[in-house]
Amino acid sequence: MPDLPTGQTLLALARDVLLNDLMPLLPEEARLDARLVANSMAIAEREAETADYLRKTITRNLEELYDSQAWGERPKDLLRRFARDLRVGTFSSCEPLERRAREILWLLTIAKLRRANPRFLAANGFN
Amino acid sequence: MAGTAPPQSDPGRERRAPLAWFLAAASGASAVEIVRLTPLRGGAIQENWAIDAHFSGGSLAGDQRLVLRTAAPTGVAASLDRLQEFEVLKAAFTAGVTVPQPLFVSGDPAIFGKPFFIMRRVGGIAAAHRITRDAALEPALPAIAERLGRELARIHTIHPPNSDLAFLPAYEEVGPAPQIAGFRAYLDNHPTPRPVLEWASRWLETHLPSPSEPVLCHHDFRTGNYMLDGTTLTGILDWEFAGWGDPHEDIGWFCSKGWRFARLDREAGGISDRASFYHAYESEAGRPIDLRRVFFWEVLASVRWAIIALQQSDRYILAGERSLDLALTGRRATECELELLMLLDPSGAPNA
Repeated sequence: MPDLPTGQTLLALARDVLLNDLMPLLPEEARLDARLVANSMAIAEREAETADYLRKTITRNLEELYDSQAWGERPKDLLRRFARDLRVGTFSSCEPLERRAREILWLLTIAKLRRANPRFLAANGFN
Repeated sequence: MAGTAPPQSDPGRERRAPLAWFLAAASGASAVEIVRLTPLRGGAIQENWAIDAHFSGGSLAGDQRLVLRTAAPTGVAASLDRLQEFEVLKAAFTAGVTVPQPLFVSGDPAIFGKPFFIMRRVGGIAAAHRITRDAALEPALPAIAERLGRELARIHTIHPPNSDLAFLPAYEEVGPAPQIAGFRAYLDNHPTPRPVLEWASRWLETHLPSPSEPVLCHHDFRTGNYMLDGTTLTGILDWEFAGWGDPHEDIGWFCSKGWRFARLDREAGGISDRASFYHAYESEAGRPIDLRRVFFWEVLASVRWAIIALQQSDRYILAGERSLDLALTGRRATECELELLMLLDPSGAPNA
């Protein structure tokens, strides 16, 4: 078990200190860089929270798409296979498979944006 | 740029003497005194330096505000070199496009360490987030969009063959099919699979438009790449990606969501609706815009911007350019992927 507070909690606190305590003390020309640092910390914090969920969810959906043929494949290999199949239009001759593939693309993209840029997601009408 | 080395007090000190000599020789001045030589912020791919100089005699006699443009330590493969970009800028200037006047060019590394060109410095701001957010600019934005539509039509009056631009690859080499092949070649070597980009590239491949009469395309014509002084357009910048192309390519790029910044609802560059921009373009060009072609190029724009964003991250990941800004840019590829899904599968959105 890691010591408390967890790395994630420390990251959140460090970001808060950066934005609320240090930012007002910085000269104007350094503030853009400080905002980029705070943004990076926020991404790292959200990724630590959700990386496992994303990998498992996408892997499960891809295993279902490929039925039993994909059992035991590593998640990254499975994703690579999915990408390759999309390139050559493997699913386009079967409407249900095509629809399922598109559902996975939506799932993957929205899950990634929840970590990388939830504000952009919201601005596009996704909760 | 975040993470770059702290600025020295006078980063261009050692370069002043050879540069002053070059400027004097190029302009016919008896002497040039460089009062200021400082790097400018912005320009993710190229490096720009502000020069304030006094010319004694010659074609630029008096005080001048100039920009020196040269390559950043690392770049992206598709960009022109500075000598080529200078020629494109000259062609645009001659065609009456509002650009900073190109003045001199040099490939001699003894002067500034790498090839560069000199142009006049235009006033104003290019910062896209400010332009799309500034309430004071709001009333002027439709007119600015119209002006940009006319400027773009003027760029598109330049067409092949053009002996000054003979270095530009033929349209057949840079049209949509070769671009899609380029995206795939990049994705083949990318460590992380990108299923949405593969899916969208497949759509592009199966919906290729008929061949177009090629014109000079800016290929990065967007908010953030033009300067506004108050409400006046003072210059269209950053010509490093220019080449022959379908005119709808620039229109799709300008309107694509990646370049609307703070105002996703304003579909023409984050500054106005499409109608003002389209109407001005059509009036100046004397030909209608084909909306289906714009849609194709808008889809391609999102794939292309996603690939460029990943390449920008590569400059940190692979080439070691220490920049947080570049490192973070790769994350924007997923924003393009969302846009691709919204364009190509609007009814499939989970909460649509």
